[in-house]
Amino acid sequence: MKNYKNHFLALLSTLLCISCTDVVDVDVQTAPTRLVIEASLDWEKGTQGNEQTIDLSASTEFFSSGNAPIITGAIIQVTDLNTGDLFDFVDQGNGSYYTDEFIPAVGHRYQLEVIYEDETYIAEETLFAVPDLTVVGQSKEDGFSEDDLEVNMTLIDPEEEGNSYFFKFWKRGDLLPDFEEFDDEFVNGNKVDWFYEIGEDDDTDEKEAFQPGDTVDISFYAISPAYLKYMRILINQIGGMGLFESIPVSVKGNCINLTNADNYAHGYFRVTQVVKTSYTFE
Amino acid sequence: MSISNKTRIPPLIKICIGIISLTAAIFTANAQQSFTINGSITDIDNGETLFGASILLEGTTIGVVTNEYGFYSLSAPSGQYNLIISYMGYHSQVKEIQLNRDQKLNFELAEESTQLEEVVVTGDEPETVVLRKPEMSVAKMNIGTVKQMPVVLGEVDILKSLHMLPGVTNNGEGSGGLHVRGGAQDQNLILLDEAIIYNTSHLFGFFSVFNADAIKDMKLYKGGIPAKFGGRVSSVLDVRQKDGNNKNFEINGGVGAISSRLAVEGPLFKEKGSFLVAGRTSYAHLFLMLAGEENRASFYDLNLKANYELTDNDKVYLSGYFGRDVLKFGDIFDSYYGNSSGNLRWNHIFNDRLFSNMSAIVSRYNYKIGFDMEDFDWLASINNYNLKYDFKYYFNDRFKLDFGASGIFYEFDPGRLKPTSSESSINPLVLDQKKALESALYVNAEQKLSERISLKYGLRYSRFNRLGGQVMNEYLNDLPVRYNSALGIYESGVVIGETYYEKGDAIETFDNWEPRINIAYQLNDNSSVKAGFSRVAQYIHLLSNTTSVTPVDVWAPSGKFIKPQLSNQYALGYFRHINDQAYSVELEGYYKTVDNRIDYIDGSELIGQETIETEILNGESRAYGLELLFRKNKGDLTGWVAYTLSKSEQRTPGGRAGGLGINNGDWYNTPYDRTHDVSVAGTYRLNEKWSFGTNLVFQTGRPVTYPNGQYEYEDISVASYSDRNSDRLPAYHRLDLSVNYQPDRRENSRWKGEWVLGIYNVYNRKNAASISFGQNRETGANEATRTAIFGIVPSITYNFKF
Repeated sequence: MKNYKNHFLALLSTLLCISCTDVVDVDVQTAPTRLVIEASLDWEKGTQGNEQTIDLSASTEFFSSGNAPIITGAIIQVTDLNTGDLFDFVDQGNGSYYTDEFIPAVGHRYQLEVIYEDETYIAEETLFAVPDLTVVGQSKEDGFSEDDLEVNMTLIDPEEEGNSYFFKFWKRGDLLPDFEEFDDEFVNGNKVDWFYEIGEDDDTDEKEAFQPGDTVDISFYAISPAYLKYMRILINQIGGMGLFESIPVSVKGNCINLTNADNYAHGYFRVTQVVKTSYTFE
Repeated sequence: MSISNKTRIPPLIKICIGIISLTAAIFTANAQQSFTINGSITDIDNGETLFGASILLEGTTIGVVTNEYGFYSLSAPSGQYNLIISYMGYHSQVKEIQLNRDQKLNFELAEESTQLEEVVVTGDEPETVVLRKPEMSVAKMNIGTVKQMPVVLGEVDILKSLHMLPGVTNNGEGSGGLHVRGGAQDQNLILLDEAIIYNTSHLFGFFSVFNADAIKDMKLYKGGIPAKFGGRVSSVLDVRQKDGNNKNFEINGGVGAISSRLAVEGPLFKEKGSFLVAGRTSYAHLFLMLAGEENRASFYDLNLKANYELTDNDKVYLSGYFGRDVLKFGDIFDSYYGNSSGNLRWNHIFNDRLFSNMSAIVSRYNYKIGFDMEDFDWLASINNYNLKYDFKYYFNDRFKLDFGASGIFYEFDPGRLKPTSSESSINPLVLDQKKALESALYVNAEQKLSERISLKYGLRYSRFNRLGGQVMNEYLNDLPVRYNSALGIYESGVVIGETYYEKGDAIETFDNWEPRINIAYQLNDNSSVKAGFSRVAQYIHLLSNTTSVTPVDVWAPSGKFIKPQLSNQYALGYFRHINDQAYSVELEGYYKTVDNRIDYIDGSELIGQETIETEILNGESRAYGLELLFRKNKGDLTGWVAYTLSKSEQRTPGGRAGGLGINNGDWYNTPYDRTHDVSVAGTYRLNEKWSFGTNLVFQTGRPVTYPNGQYEYEDISVASYSDRNSDRLPAYHRLDLSVNYQPDRRENSRWKGEWVLGIYNVYNRKNAASISFGQNRETGANEATRTAIFGIVPSITYNFKF
């Protein structure tokens, strides 16, 4: 529902004016640099999930270009709080920290600890089981536009309430992926149909609709309710906040700085189960 | 309805009258024998009652102005007088009277100009009255003034004209509504023939819901709100529909590029009554459809008014409004929203000094969003039923009393999900309906203490019962929102149980005493100073966390978790007429505080939200400013220059939820803060055929929230944002021009036509309605995208009347 509402409000602004947007130069404030922790321990359903990577980088000025500065020299450890197992992530020297010993388990709670420049960051997260996702094919008439192709999927939401999901769609050849999230608040226990369509952007050519031959990679994650809240704000704010959308806010992740609370880290420590698939349009 | 007369007065009113007569006796004890004249003042051409026309006894300071229904009552010692009856834009009348008995005198005034507009008035009541009257912080505009101002897309818009006044701003293009003295949009009580209007705009602010052909006049109280009004802390906009021509059958209409309108009015029952029916519709969607555009937006509305004079002392009025906006986004969504209202009124004159009006009013705002693809509808509404009874007693020249009572019953339906087919994967859902009763009693006195000092003071007692019939959550430690100090965010409290409140029970009851006082001291014939204080309570709140208020935002009543907003406003003003009223200067300063102004926690979800209390923090706001209005009232060139210097800010500490609150609990700008606001409006009348109008507007940019950094996450660049409202959009400014041309009328033809050519935003300034930040999907670079709604917009409209 919330997604629909947001989509509706975003569309309201487009209705107001056709071709009345342009790119302008704007002065913005600059916040102090923060550590960015991208600790996404994703267990692909049907695999062992032992190989995991955590990336560290630094935030930059909003309009600066180029890659984000990498962060090396940190010490990273993940603990399975149910079993007490410790997993060390080894500094690869390029901003990545790697382990091949991780043991994912549904329902387990994990703790992340990052020590960097004498400050300790911690976060906790629980792993949820993901239902199967079935790609049922493609269509034109089931999406937002009847002219554009979309890929259709279905899933069955489990009986119990409180399931949260996150989709990552990435059309091969595109620079950026697309995200969607939802929870079972309005669809609990139902068979849920989902589709992914890229709406043609007439103004900027930034977005091209799917053509036969295009391939899209689909990742479908079961996530924690806390991460859903985080991603909901983040996804909502990607691409900017229009006239009828919420006033943008800072998105705060779950990585707490124990040494200096104000110097919290951006990013998130998530532990998920994921279904990965892809689809090539005919 | 039974027709009352002096001998058949209901007991309660009898008691009231008894008390009043007693008081009156005290006030009149020392006066020599005096007599009263009363009656009504109307337009000679169409019988419309005139609100604010003045009756003055020449050579004295004894005078009075007509009320909303054109009624007046004036008492003076016996003697021979010249009565001067005047109203701006009309020829004054002088009548010699022998005041040796009480008598009823009705007057009909004739318009000065022969323009197409019903009434062309550039100012307010005549100076002598204005300067002496304690009323301040008020802007009264006649529809004629509004019709002369240049407009976007050729549609006359009273809200846009109000934006030209000091202390009144909009939220940028593409958003309706008003912000008065740094107040929010939901803090304005907007009344159309006394019915509450919840959403004032069509097509997100392109047009207002007020059809100029159906409107007679409007009065905006920016402060010094009379005790008869209550329920909103910032302002009252009192818009009144025309009664309808009771002399001749008349048709008004206009054909524009975007919309057209038609109004029909005429007498009923041998001039005992009259009616008016007015309609408007946009048809731009037709063109969009022809152009192959799948998204469409259109609106229509309908105004209705009828009145009938039962006896000399009894008149009934029926008025109605129905408006709809209809949106369609291809096959994805279809939506409608709008206000509807109806009002049945009964004016009764008990005697030559006591005027009364009873109203029964219903109004409703509702919307639907149909999610066609998902096969479900989202519906929400607010309804209210309002009964009020108002009296005005004219004791004597020095003392007048208003008093009355009102009750409003509210029904809030914050939202329901309705699957529209069995294939829908959406489960039905109905959010809790909420009910409340807002009641009030008030008394307000207008008193002339001396030739120089006059006072207006009143007291309103308001009471709000949030009624049961629903379940309310109970939270751990009674905290619906709590601060998660580890993560540094506000989140929903822990639900530990729920309580069901029976239908007969009140969930919560609030009451407030709201004193209002204004004082005027006349320095000399041409100038006066005035001061005022008012306290107002607001019990219902519009929930909106978006940059611009949207049509799908919902209202929520005060209750267990949302406290009533309470404002205190202090104002001081200096008023001066120059050169025999040819020019006037108004200078006012104000300071206003509002307690219990809520703001929303980061990531708040308001729509489809059962527990609003988990999304808000309680705070306060304050606003202060200086307003200057310089007017030229006479001559071929008329108009005004308005300047406002102001500040509007709010503070939302964590309070019991813990933490420092929003923006660390510091004061931050409200979205309606405008440091500078300059408006220039002018009309030049070249001759009988040609006239020209212009608007010039400059406003400091609206406070907004911009990014202050970026970081890489999940293969994209994510923006981090700075403190709420700590940046500003670029300044807003524009110039509009218009030309009115009235061709010669053919002899013996009743048809009068008029062409209006307008250019909105002449120098094509791209004023940002919003600036959003995101990553270019091709280059990956961050960029700022401006949305500017109107560039230069020429328009042409043909208005007619016969």
